[in-house]
Amino acid sequence: MSIALRGVTKQFGEYAAVENIDLDVPTGALMALLGPSGSGKTTLLRIIGGLETPDQGQVLFDGQDATLWPIGDRKVGFVFQQYALFRHMTVFENVAFGLKVKRRRERPSAPAIRKKVQELLALVQLDWAHDRYPAQLSGGQRQRVALARAMAIGPQVLLLDEPFGALDSQVRHELRRWLRRLHDELHFTSIIVTHDQQEAIEVADTVVVLNRGKIEQVGIPGEIYDLPESAFVHRFLGQVNELPVLLRDGRAYIGPIDISAAAEVQTGSAQNIALIRPHEIEIGQPSSGWPATVVAVRVIGPIVRLDVCADGHSVHEPLEAEISRERFEAERFTIGQRVGVRFRRWQVYPAAA
Amino acid sequence: MGRWLLIVTALLFLCVFLVLPLLAVFAQALAKGFEAYYLAIMAPMAWAAVKLTLLVAAIAVPLNLIFGVAAAWAIAKFNFRGKSALITLIDLPFAVSPVIAGMIFILVFGTHGWFGGSLRAHHIRVVFAVPGIVLATLFVTFPFIARELIPVMQSQGKDDEETALSLGATGWQTFWRVTLPNIRWGLLYGVLLCNARAMGEFGAVSVVSGHIRGVTNTMPLHVEILYNEYNYTAAFAVASLLALLALLTLAGKSILEWRQPELRHAVRMPRDRTRRA
Repeated sequence: MSIALRGVTKQFGEYAAVENIDLDVPTGALMALLGPSGSGKTTLLRIIGGLETPDQGQVLFDGQDATLWPIGDRKVGFVFQQYALFRHMTVFENVAFGLKVKRRRERPSAPAIRKKVQELLALVQLDWAHDRYPAQLSGGQRQRVALARAMAIGPQVLLLDEPFGALDSQVRHELRRWLRRLHDELHFTSIIVTHDQQEAIEVADTVVVLNRGKIEQVGIPGEIYDLPESAFVHRFLGQVNELPVLLRDGRAYIGPIDISAAAEVQTGSAQNIALIRPHEIEIGQPSSGWPATVVAVRVIGPIVRLDVCADGHSVHEPLEAEISRERFEAERFTIGQRVGVRFRRWQVYPAAA
Repeated sequence: MGRWLLIVTALLFLCVFLVLPLLAVFAQALAKGFEAYYLAIMAPMAWAAVKLTLLVAAIAVPLNLIFGVAAAWAIAKFNFRGKSALITLIDLPFAVSPVIAGMIFILVFGTHGWFGGSLRAHHIRVVFAVPGIVLATLFVTFPFIARELIPVMQSQGKDDEETALSLGATGWQTFWRVTLPNIRWGLLYGVLLCNARAMGEFGAVSVVSGHIRGVTNTMPLHVEILYNEYNYTAAFAVASLLALLALLTLAGKSILEWRQPELRHAVRMPRDRTRRA
């Protein structure tokens, strides 16, 4: 099912949770709504699911106006961060719930329900747990039960609100990959809300970045990461170093490095900042760039993170650089060593943004 | 060391203020032997008081059950104007002295009260009759269930209900199958407290009852009358019956809790036992 939002606005008192949102989710897409808390991503999801009614605008399901449809009629599967499993029911009863509450003439027979639930539990690899209570399961298992329960009603849309937020990072990683596989096999339209940029990039085919109730950027994950359209998106999608861009004699500098050749400097604006990701910084001989001192070295598996204090830049804000393990093994940078910093890539934004 | 000190202090306190008085009630009731006890309890006036007390509780508790669940549901699951005012109002009977609560009903429904004239015209007796006692009991006991449920419902949030609705359940199904089971322990506890207070209320009921023996005397009022007549054995016999009712409700609660399978099974299992996919 395709979903479209047209001019959706929702106020909570004086506070605009989402403002004039237009968004198209094509059938079969797996879209991530990414943003910090308070960006309106959950409100948007709840509006699509029918848990909130927008003050203005329309929600279209397959082109039909679904703005005022009751939740139960929307056939959406909801998965919450805290699982929301019915704690007094076994795993089996939880998954069967959506089938058992159907009107009598639509309700499948008891054996049919049992068969369907067993299928779903097999799908989420929890068939052995059918008679357990939620309290007896781990977080990852509970979330899989919640997913099976949501899928029992045969939804065409799956809405996931920070589904892996309460899990530890290894389980989270596994579940993400598993969700992606499941999505590819079953072809429903999925929308996942997350504040974790890595999750959004890993799992979704389209990422929507939200900030203060508005859409900042929509794009495929690689594009969002590499070509952010605003300083906000740039900052939100990963680590960045922020350096002021200095204008002198009609030329632009980051520290002592002349960046005028790159035509992106907005000389019209008095204050510009350059955002540089850690892996876009190169560390070399002191003579090769902006002179700096190494103040910290951390080996993190395949990469090595170096904190360097550039001369003339605040000592409280060392630059964060990432280099490959191989390069580190070759160069053996140590704390206190004098080095030269160069930038492979950067992006300049007006400072106010 | 510190732990034992705490435990001993708690136990001592419990003995002095709870166990001893309870024993004293039973000891005094049985001071003149079982026969005297039996006769005191089987006295027609005593029986009338027992029946009236049970009747009042049987009306007040279900009404407060409905009100308490409705109020707690509204407060915990919805946002609306005047919500904090409603919470304060629910607490009012806690803040107001029961005697004043009784006086309110005299003022409203008494012979010289606001509705006294029209009530008398229709031959309806409220004050100094059973309806008055029920009203006063309702007023005094109405915070118990709501107060017990509000924090339970607030801590559980709306996720379960929203999930149920998204799975196609109606509001009614959601309430019976999801909300009610989630709050049942809080609800049970609230009902027990409410019931205990409904049976034991003295002040408010005393004001509106008129102390007509065999007609408007509840057990606590009957105990007081017997006591004032220096009939200690009978007074304590009825009192022991009241205490017994309280002990029975507590025992009932324990049995119910013990019979709940998921409570006994709700032990945390070691993390993720699945075969990794």
